[in-house]
Amino acid sequence: MLAAYLLVGGALFTLGLVGFVTRRNLIIMFLCTELMFQGIVINLVAFGRYPLDGQPTLDGQVFSLFLLAVAAAEAALGLALVVLLYRYKGTLDVDAWKLLRDE
Amino acid sequence: MASVLLIILLTLGGVGLYLAMPGGRLHAARAALILLIGAAAALVALVLPMAGAQAERIWFTLLALIGLLAALRMITHRKPVYSALYFILVIIATSGLLILTQATFLAAALLIIYAGAILVTYVFVIMLAQQAGGSAPYDQRAREPFVGVVTGFILLAVLTLRLARGEGQPFAMIATDPERTLGSITLVGTHLLTQYVIGIEITGVVLLAAMVGAIAIARRRATAGQGEVD
Repeated sequence: MLAAYLLVGGALFTLGLVGFVTRRNLIIMFLCTELMFQGIVINLVAFGRYPLDGQPTLDGQVFSLFLLAVAAAEAALGLALVVLLYRYKGTLDVDAWKLLRDE
Repeated sequence: MASVLLIILLTLGGVGLYLAMPGGRLHAARAALILLIGAAAALVALVLPMAGAQAERIWFTLLALIGLLAALRMITHRKPVYSALYFILVIIATSGLLILTQATFLAAALLIIYAGAILVTYVFVIMLAQQAGGSAPYDQRAREPFVGVVTGFILLAVLTLRLARGEGQPFAMIATDPERTLGSITLVGTHLLTQYVIGIEITGVVLLAAMVGAIAIARRRATAGQGEVD
């Protein structure tokens, strides 16, 4: 079953990546990073439950708890930045900030 | 056999995702639906014959299908509020998968923190920043959907085909002790506060820094159309 969990986790991560690349709404792009976190959580816990050798461990679950804390901090900071950017330009379009990119 | 099913699954899923991206024509949605049903059938055919308890395989397939389809709908929906709601469905499916791996405390924490706290913040910001009158023009059209989908397809193909061709029997269940209950709150708490106590302290510092940073950002005054900050 380990491979099945890894498949689902990888698929969730990839969907998040594709969404991050293709969507143009700042909030949706942040949501896609959270989707990538979900894929990583599934992978970590599956590796803890079905280890390649030895007995199951709790390390994957503990790492996932740390990941939850970091995700909460990232959401607070990221959404504060999104609100600030929205107040500058009045739009959530990420192309409104394309001057930040090197051209 | 597993490799063939994986390639079918990835191809159907990739084409379906490309057709479902916002900006396509209307009849593309129907074709995307058919392709995604095919991808779901390939996933069922891949997971169901695996070794392991039958109940776990059935629940796994169900939750994986719900999670993946909700994730796909989340990144293709044109309205941000619906994207956030579909993400809650993804979180519920993920929690179910965690319960299947006996990580019950983590499943509850995921539901409470993500669906309860983080998603409420997202929905609040969406309501704060969304223009009235339906979805905005930048939500109607995806940016370079073909390149994005091909990138994701290649990444996932490299990851999972390596998995299917691994040594031994990667799609078989490795023998574990079923009597041992992992993930109860006592075990996780003991593990967390003995072996990873430094990490707990550092996490506290990270949360404090994020709180101070969020307050500092929110206190800035922005005037529309200008790059100046007071």
